[in-house]
Amino acid sequence: MKKFFIPILIVFLLLTSMSFGSTKLVFTVHWADYQLDGIKDKEGNIVVKGLKQYVEEYMKTHPDVEIEVRSVAFDELLKKIIIDHTGGLPSDVYGLYSLWGVELVKSGILDEPPKDIQNAVRLLFVKPAVDGATINGRIWGVPTEIDNYALVYNKKLLAEAGFKKPPQKWVDLVNIASKLTKKNPDGSIAQYGFAFLAGWDSAVVHPYLALLYSNGGEFLSKDFKECLLDRKEAIEALDAELELFRKGATNTAASVYNFPNGTVAMMIMAPWYETDLKLGFKDKYQETVGVAPIPYLKKPATCGYTWFIGVDSASKNKKQAWDFIRWMTIQTMSNGATRMGELMAKNIGAIPPSRVNLDKFPNELNDLYTQTFVRELIHTIQEPNVAQGQEIKTALMREIVEAWNGRKTAEQALKDAKKKIDEILMENY
Amino acid sequence: MRKSLENRTGAGYSFLAPAIIFYLVFFLFPVAFSFLTSFKRWNMLTPFINAPFIGFKNFLDLLRDDLFIMALRNTLFYAILTVSITLVLALFYAVMINKARFSVLWRFIYFAPVVTPQVAIATIWGYLYNPNSGLLNAILRAIGLKGLNWLTDPNVALFSVILTAVWAGLGGSMLIFTASLNNIPQEYYDAANLDGATGFKEFWNITLPLLKPTLLFLSATGLISAWQVFDLPYMLGRNAPAKSVITVSWYTYEIAFQDLKMGKASAGAFLLFIAIFIITLIVLRLFGKEGIEGYE
Repeated sequence: MKKFFIPILIVFLLLTSMSFGSTKLVFTVHWADYQLDGIKDKEGNIVVKGLKQYVEEYMKTHPDVEIEVRSVAFDELLKKIIIDHTGGLPSDVYGLYSLWGVELVKSGILDEPPKDIQNAVRLLFVKPAVDGATINGRIWGVPTEIDNYALVYNKKLLAEAGFKKPPQKWVDLVNIASKLTKKNPDGSIAQYGFAFLAGWDSAVVHPYLALLYSNGGEFLSKDFKECLLDRKEAIEALDAELELFRKGATNTAASVYNFPNGTVAMMIMAPWYETDLKLGFKDKYQETVGVAPIPYLKKPATCGYTWFIGVDSASKNKKQAWDFIRWMTIQTMSNGATRMGELMAKNIGAIPPSRVNLDKFPNELNDLYTQTFVRELIHTIQEPNVAQGQEIKTALMREIVEAWNGRKTAEQALKDAKKKIDEILMENY
Repeated sequence: MRKSLENRTGAGYSFLAPAIIFYLVFFLFPVAFSFLTSFKRWNMLTPFINAPFIGFKNFLDLLRDDLFIMALRNTLFYAILTVSITLVLALFYAVMINKARFSVLWRFIYFAPVVTPQVAIATIWGYLYNPNSGLLNAILRAIGLKGLNWLTDPNVALFSVILTAVWAGLGGSMLIFTASLNNIPQEYYDAANLDGATGFKEFWNITLPLLKPTLLFLSATGLISAWQVFDLPYMLGRNAPAKSVITVSWYTYEIAFQDLKMGKASAGAFLLFIAIFIITLIVLRLFGKEGIEGYE
């Protein structure tokens, strides 16, 4: 027995001593398989790189670092971060929705980035993305993705009704949407002039915030002590949405997911819907889909949200984690773009928030769909990074939907939302 | 003699130990921890020990929260309607199928939804409820009626969820009724026949009283699980107007894992437990001693 045991022990010790030499990082994201493994052709060759190919490249040039990529569904990501951290087994690096950052920072879960990274974020990234990664005046990670909203319309349906151009002002949108709505003989709607995105809080709240900002209004006071939704601008903005319901141009049964089958003429949508539209319209995509800025009330504006990459404060390898993030998100390749920018533009289909990337991927960022979203970055106002942001957003969503359903007036719905949101703010500020 | 008895007691406890440890670790400890949490303000991100003790504030906040009250109301409505409709239909089908030809086939057909995952059921019914392309509205339109917004009309959405829940749960109750029906001795019916009783009289005076323990069991277990309902309302009702479908479990899940208010969520769970406890006691009282003894 001893004869076997000693050589096995030696081999085991050798192997473990080899692994002791490298640092292991765990990187948790919420991406799909193709976004991790890359997009492959029929022969299995990678045509568009995924996160793992960049990670492999890093490990080749940094043999002392081993990176394990883990992916969970979006709905599960925050729970995983919390449970892993509370259980003492945190991931080193996370991809985070900016709104979660406030609670994570407040609870000391996020590590503050090195000064050079903070400076790079301030200098190199677009303003709404910097705002997204800023909590209580400090940068807590590197923005990786910025999403905003624009009007997506069916060019053919508009042209058939005699509209050559998409609406510029909200009043025009209501007018065109009413004319594009068609009814079945039984009174049900066969074609919607407009459909609101619905089903989760951001879907309902972000387009409303876009209208609120467009009307010169504000959601919360600067010090986050008060909700400002009882003001005239806020009520007018929600009333502008309700006008579509009153004119019969939409109802709560309308779904943006019917846009690809040609029964919805206009919707407010984010950049991530592009692939679905291409798949839905196939060879008719170019001639059918149009994108324009959200029709405004007083001035052009849209709402944005950000994802950023951060490091867990309990990570044992914080320096290595930030080194990897710096390499991935700030250092540029020979073409002048960052690796994260390339991954976002080419694979994930999102807008990379670093300015150095915005002109590097014309095929992806200057195409029919995405170019409007990129141009609208100048009108994009980041949703506020407020404590209990998700709870606040859900409270507002509920009241907006109440108004959509005619159960409350715009004024009453927003008054009730303000009451609830003020209670939440009072607990936190 | 004494030593042998001690040995046997020790052996008994050692056999019981795995179950007791499992019960302590996975039931009693979480319940006690959750109870303690309900008096704290804790977001799971900071150490539990540092979370401030806030007395009954979580409970009071819940009772002041109109969303929680709406969730309670929805859950009560859902539980009463789902359980009562399911029991009536299940009993009706059990009596029909018991005497029908190919009863095994019928039982299989009605039981199939019970073994289908709730997520799959919600997805399929989501298609059926689609206001534009769904089968239900197509049928309504074919007979000259106006289609409904099954899941987006606040006055209809909860009924749509109840309809799906009844369809999904009918088979299980029906199977248990069928087993109970088969246990009723034929002699009772023969005697009743001799006395001239037939049809409904037989059912009312023989079948129903002898099914009382089964009714009690199905009512109690049905109400307990209906009060905890989460998956069907959550899957079907996510597009429903804000408060029309939310249930207590959904509410507690949301405030625990979205709002990170674990204390308030634990308080909600305890209020749910109290509600279930009271409802179960009422059911036991309604059916009376006879029902319980019959069941025992």
